[in-house]
Amino acid sequence: MIETIQLQPGVTLRCCADTRFKQGCLSFQLVRPMDGAEAALNALIPAVLLRGTRVHRDLRAITLRLDELYGASVGTLVRRVGDYQTTGLYCSFVEDRFCLPGDRVLAPMADFLRELLLEPLTEKGGFSPAFVESEKKNLISTIESERNDKRAYAMEKLFKTMCRGDSYGISRLGEKEDVAKVDPDGLYAHYRRILQESPVEIFYVGSAPAKEVARLLEPVLAGIDRDFRPLLPQTGFHDGGGSNLTEEMDVAQGKLCMGYVTPVTNRDPEFAAAQVMNTVFGAGMTSKLFMNVREKYSLCYAIGSGYYASKGIVAVSAGIDFDKEAQTRAEIARQLDAMRNGEITQQELNAAKEALLSALRGTHDSPGSIESYYATGALSGMHMNPVQYMDAIRAVTAEQVAAEARRLKLHTTYFLKGATE
Amino acid sequence: MKQYRYPGLDETMHKTVLPNGLTVLVVPRPGFSRKMAYFVTDFGSIHTDFRMDGQEYQAPAGVAHFLEHKMFDLPGGRDVSAEFAALGANVNAFTSYDMTAYYFSCTDNFESSLRLLLEFVSTPYFTDESVAKEMGIIDQEIGMNTDAPDSRVFDNLTAILYDNHPIRVPILGTSETIRRITPQVLYDCHRAFYTPGNMILCVVGDVEPNRVAEIAGAVLGSEKRPMGEKRCHWPEEMRAREKTCSARMEVAMPTFELGFKCEPTGRGEGAIRREVVGDLAAEALFGESSPLYLRLYEQGLIDSSFGGGFETVDGCAMLLCSGDSEAPEAVRDAILAQAETLIRTGISKEDFLRMKRSALGRRIRDLDSFDSTCFRLCAYHLSGFDYFDFPGVYQTVQPEEILEFVDRVVREARCALSVINPVEEAI
Repeated sequence: MIETIQLQPGVTLRCCADTRFKQGCLSFQLVRPMDGAEAALNALIPAVLLRGTRVHRDLRAITLRLDELYGASVGTLVRRVGDYQTTGLYCSFVEDRFCLPGDRVLAPMADFLRELLLEPLTEKGGFSPAFVESEKKNLISTIESERNDKRAYAMEKLFKTMCRGDSYGISRLGEKEDVAKVDPDGLYAHYRRILQESPVEIFYVGSAPAKEVARLLEPVLAGIDRDFRPLLPQTGFHDGGGSNLTEEMDVAQGKLCMGYVTPVTNRDPEFAAAQVMNTVFGAGMTSKLFMNVREKYSLCYAIGSGYYASKGIVAVSAGIDFDKEAQTRAEIARQLDAMRNGEITQQELNAAKEALLSALRGTHDSPGSIESYYATGALSGMHMNPVQYMDAIRAVTAEQVAAEARRLKLHTTYFLKGATE
Repeated sequence: MKQYRYPGLDETMHKTVLPNGLTVLVVPRPGFSRKMAYFVTDFGSIHTDFRMDGQEYQAPAGVAHFLEHKMFDLPGGRDVSAEFAALGANVNAFTSYDMTAYYFSCTDNFESSLRLLLEFVSTPYFTDESVAKEMGIIDQEIGMNTDAPDSRVFDNLTAILYDNHPIRVPILGTSETIRRITPQVLYDCHRAFYTPGNMILCVVGDVEPNRVAEIAGAVLGSEKRPMGEKRCHWPEEMRAREKTCSARMEVAMPTFELGFKCEPTGRGEGAIRREVVGDLAAEALFGESSPLYLRLYEQGLIDSSFGGGFETVDGCAMLLCSGDSEAPEAVRDAILAQAETLIRTGISKEDFLRMKRSALGRRIRDLDSFDSTCFRLCAYHLSGFDYFDFPGVYQTVQPEEILEFVDRVVREARCALSVINPVEEAI
């Protein structure tokens, strides 16, 4: 279903030809090692690229062009995939068949992507200083705004504390201080270098055949003088020591986050069992945490766990009253112990598997989920397609789930509570 | 079922009204694994005042949302979520100002899941104990919203923009109002509004339309039951009750929501036309392709968090924009000034075409989402319009309508500004 074409060494085009959708998507990602020294630079680049080109010289000119392309959108793409950070652009656009007679969107869209990537507005050998300054401000405010979403903020703090020795401790968008230090010339030089050296992942979903997409993208690559440097493979969790942290803030509701580690990543044979284990434990409305901590004891409104499979981390977060911390911790631990002791009903196991299977069956139902499954899967080292992945989930037994629960080790906890004054 | 084709959208819709009064809409999507069903009642947080069997009811604020939570309880200790999960379906629900929706998505076991959806939403079962327990859970949800700047800034805005419309009160109600909810209150609301004549069933996916109607008829029966008469009109003068309000929270930078009070859009084709006009006016005035957006962005007065549009709720409508800004008042003043400029200079034919093409393309792309398709079909059906007819509205709308809207609405008197400022750091 996915056709992969190696356009050049290190440049991969993956195409999913599909005529069911009303829109197509095209993503372009440069793949970098997740590194504190360049995380902020990589996060900033796509935002600056979207500010203006030599032809479409400001934000308004770009938006007007996208309006002409039937309200197409181009967004920034900055992802964390295990030890990698990707930076690039994501385009969505209506399929040609919905345009007025004679109008086309895919071909001009591919050309516009080339223009955005290769013809940014420059001044004296650097990015436009005005664009860089204003996007630095935006990025800093995005980083600061993460504080507004208390759950996301608490999770970020958990990861920072827990992953002192790991690339997962580096913020996906970099640190405010690093953003503030960026200069237009240095940023442009860095961009030119990563265009030449980095692995490039291009993904297309839509009605056009792969060959045609490859042809439309030729001019993009022709404009880069490539000097490909492969990346190191993905790695598991690097332990820099755990801790228990409590922080006070002026909030109405407390956030308790608990980080566990497991040696199992999505590159291991036990991956499916670990995934089912996390789902039985805390993912969704039938999980042990939801059914007990929320439904049975009313300790919280929101509770859930996530398995960060490229790294082997399971993180639980719960929104609770400040005085319920000890009780909630104890209940979470009790639920995990129950799983470790094999207290997993057939109903719990089936519900968890069904939830995972159902999500996977829908992978091919939207361009966005197709892109996200394959484009990040390939990079994280997970090479099962949805059908193989589903088979692996179906084969998981309750004993395997219990065994995976026994491998979980509590590593770090973080509690955000209200100010005492 | 009656079949309607929309060749410009590649869509077909099957529609019928069952003897029990339920409207059934089915949009087949051949070749997709996912199937989605929305079961919606025309009852939201604003509908607390109603009349039934000659009696007047005034339910506490937050009752629609509370009822939504409690519908998931069934007699005999049955667990709805677990039953859906066992079928491999995801079930969820939401309450808005003017509707409550229960929905699931699945890939297999569609018919069993559909039966379960229809069954649990039409089976009221409330006890003193379960209602008391729910208060704790909803208190936590209210607490979560209290900590969320987006919902605080909006709730504060509607409270100063409106005099009487119940949009002034948060959807969840307050800790005090939900304390007045009893099993009897929930039974009354369920009897008044969860009757098939007040509801829509909408399905999108690779399904057999007639089977959907058959199953709905079999589960819900054919009896047509009486329903509550909601209060839907609230006197409002077209001016803001207060100009500004502000609160302090743990935010990094001030965040604001600006609203202009508009006349309610009413029902039918006129309603969606007024909505399209409102949307295009928002685009022309402060959309990403407007001169104002670029100027404010380059001046650093707004950032990429800025956005807005036209919002309608039963009995009220607003032109809104929101975002983070160090100077929200300056953004408001710039929008008021830009409205005058726009009325003076007009909108060129080319610009108008481009805006329409863009809006149309976005709406078509949006139909790839099953969720959004179900939601829009239901919401527009409740306002008396077939959503798939939207391309026709764009074909006939004129620039003069946009200018008339801006001239009428974007006025200081109709405008209110809600701001959330950062907590001052102790030195």
